[in-house]
Amino acid sequence: MAKYNFWFFSSFLIALIVALPVITVFFSFFSETSNYLTILKNTFLFDYINNSLIILIFVLSITFLLGVISAYFISFYEFPLCNFFSWALILAFAVPGYIFAFSIIAFFENYGTAYSILTNMFGEYNYNPHIPKLDGILGSIIAISFSLFPYVYVLTRSSFFYQSNNYIEVGQNLGLSERETLFKIILPSARPAIIAGLALVAMECLSDFGTVSIFSVSTLTTGIYNSWLSFDDLNLANQISFILLLFVFLLLSIEIYSRKEAKYHQPSRGFKPINKIKLSGKKSLLAFSFCFLLFFISFIFPVSQMIYWTLKFPKYIQDINILKINLNTMYLVGLASIVLVFISLFINYGSRISKSKILNYLTNFSISGYAIPGVILAVAFITLFSNFSELMSENTSLGNIKKLFIGSIFGLVLAYFIRFFSLSFNGIKSSYEKINNSIDESAYLLGYSKIKTFSSIHVPYLKNNIILIIVLISLEIIKELPITMILRPFNFETFATQAYIYASQDLLEAAALPSLFLISWATILIIFSSKYILSQKN
Amino acid sequence: MRKIILAVSALFFVFGNLLANEVNIFSARHYDSDVQLYEKFTAKTGIKVNVVSGKSGALEKRIIAEGGTADLYITADAGRLGAFAANLQGGLTSNEIKSAVPSNFRTSKWVGIAKRARIVYFAPERVTGAELRGLTYESLADPKWKGRLVIRASNNIYNQSLVASLIKNNGKGKVAEWSKGMVSNMARSPKGNDRAQILAVAAGEADIAVANTYYLALMLSGKKGAEQQAAAKKVKPFFPNQGDRGTHMNISGAGLVKGAPNKDNAIKLVEFLLSKEAQKHIVNNTYEYPMIAGVSPHPLVVNMGLDFKQDLTTKVVNYGNRQADALEVMTAAGWK
Repeated sequence: MAKYNFWFFSSFLIALIVALPVITVFFSFFSETSNYLTILKNTFLFDYINNSLIILIFVLSITFLLGVISAYFISFYEFPLCNFFSWALILAFAVPGYIFAFSIIAFFENYGTAYSILTNMFGEYNYNPHIPKLDGILGSIIAISFSLFPYVYVLTRSSFFYQSNNYIEVGQNLGLSERETLFKIILPSARPAIIAGLALVAMECLSDFGTVSIFSVSTLTTGIYNSWLSFDDLNLANQISFILLLFVFLLLSIEIYSRKEAKYHQPSRGFKPINKIKLSGKKSLLAFSFCFLLFFISFIFPVSQMIYWTLKFPKYIQDINILKINLNTMYLVGLASIVLVFISLFINYGSRISKSKILNYLTNFSISGYAIPGVILAVAFITLFSNFSELMSENTSLGNIKKLFIGSIFGLVLAYFIRFFSLSFNGIKSSYEKINNSIDESAYLLGYSKIKTFSSIHVPYLKNNIILIIVLISLEIIKELPITMILRPFNFETFATQAYIYASQDLLEAAALPSLFLISWATILIIFSSKYILSQKN
Repeated sequence: MRKIILAVSALFFVFGNLLANEVNIFSARHYDSDVQLYEKFTAKTGIKVNVVSGKSGALEKRIIAEGGTADLYITADAGRLGAFAANLQGGLTSNEIKSAVPSNFRTSKWVGIAKRARIVYFAPERVTGAELRGLTYESLADPKWKGRLVIRASNNIYNQSLVASLIKNNGKGKVAEWSKGMVSNMARSPKGNDRAQILAVAAGEADIAVANTYYLALMLSGKKGAEQQAAAKKVKPFFPNQGDRGTHMNISGAGLVKGAPNKDNAIKLVEFLLSKEAQKHIVNNTYEYPMIAGVSPHPLVVNMGLDFKQDLTTKVVNYGNRQADALEVMTAAGWK
């Protein structure tokens, strides 16, 4: 049985670790729960589902419009600053939904920033009743939409970009107007990419914890968390998670399917880059204003609100140990991305040289970690390792090993590993598959050992891809909130936890400085990688 | 790689335990001023204070799951401590503690560190003295306040503790009716924190608000900016139930966790928090009322009035015991 070799077992182990939370959730679905499920069914559950669906539907519609329209303008037309917008619109990724939420609250609340601006401009008056109150579900929808639309933008734009100009020319030769070309040719052929982007938005939206908790809106995700906390019923929490997971898996399959479709639609020969049409007059103004407003609202607005607060309340610059938080963040990001990339390379290499199909199926499990919302992963993680270590201490002489997993850097990195393994593994896989197997065989013929083939042929080829993956993982970890919040060690804050803690203590103005640092780091990473992100073929 | 990490973590873990002259705090109160206070404690005693902060619910879960790590659980609500009592142990019974803290603000498992009152704020322009005369929490449900009241959501623990104390004093049935009256008096669907309720009164969205005492002082101090300082001056505090049991009091408190690895250090820290020095530091930074006698609150709090009758008869331990009932009646009344 050569199949069951070292590579098989190591891949199996990794797949098992990553799938543990999902397995936990799955099995709890069939275990007994308290009668809280009945209480919940009668009272809250309907509200949770309702809120989740309302937010989801609006976020999908808004991100669709924002993402597709901006991608359309930028791909097909020339207007002032269009090259700048092509990467600047991705900067919205640097502002997590919960920080966008702080900005909305700060700006629109009674006696908030909008009030100050009006007072400075027009003098003293009670403007409060005339300032719209963006909070609750409305606030959540806006914050989530503006922080997630780049998913749709990036994927749609790259689909437009690789869409051969031939199609468009054919359309024009058939006498189609610009509008008809858009609706009959451009959009239909970009459909898979748009759907893939929307599926990602939907998954992130359903797993959002920070934004809705800042606005005190109960959704399925916060409902799961609350039923775990207030009813002390993990099985119930897991059962609601199961409902949520069904949603997520559905979206995931749509996303995977759409990606395959998107590949299918890419022409390989006869590719002609798009000739951008130069806009002038009103049309140019329209395209420019749309992109400018989008950039302004999604990035400039939250950043300037944070800068304004930091300057208005300078006390917190001294109070916050910003150096330590910087070091903590770098430490976490560095450690986690090294572990993730190292193991992803290792497993990818194993599955390559052992050519095993089973391995391929096993590693598909890796996706489950990404599918499960962070807060649920953290809940499952705590339960799992708490039970596991009790089992160990009953049956072995190891003693209490909980501390190894809960409230330790090791545990935190392990949880990140589960959450982001899919991102890193599949990222490397897609580029690994492009190295033809015959190259390996030629290398062996030239007397290269397997290790040498890996280190001097594979790694150099994968280098750019690895850098991109490290950047993406870092971006995710810097913004990550619920896992870090629940599992972090003593005296250990990241920008995200520090900002969230201040915000939950009604010190939004103190949350500004850590938020600003978080955005700055993320911005640097995005600018650094924007070329790679924009050139990705889906 | 993982083996190395494992080994290193294990090493840290072993050393951490060997060198331990420390105390581990799980805190749902995370003011920077608390951290300064812990630093003072370390300077005085050499005991290192480890803190992990977060929202109370998640902290409680972690204390239980982690088992044998936490020494003290610090939170800003008596109801929380009461509801968590099964995971706390007795031991906060030293003479220092008993003589410093009145008996209705402590049990052997947890003690109050500072006090706050949950009171009514009103807009003098729109609310007359006659309307306010004899105001009680109970009479907030009176139809005369229809469309004029703002208060936080029912999931807020301060509200749960307030309603729990009403249930203790009036019975669940009456409070269920009262909750319905409250809901129909609301000027808007509950949203925002306590400060947002006060601001809503200042902005004219409502005439009266229910909120804790320290929020007004915080705004008046200017720490929240000139706009909110000016807004705070447009509202006035009112202390309800002066004709009967007194104004609802709540505490920030510390509980001694079961299986605390540094129990003695934890008790020392609680005693330090109840010292004059620490109490002065707390009241001047958080605008709470001191727990011990002989320390004056912050001048802004003194200005709000000190000669009000505090409810010292309703034991705060009831806030935890009646918490579930409180949430139930509020939810049933449609209190969001």
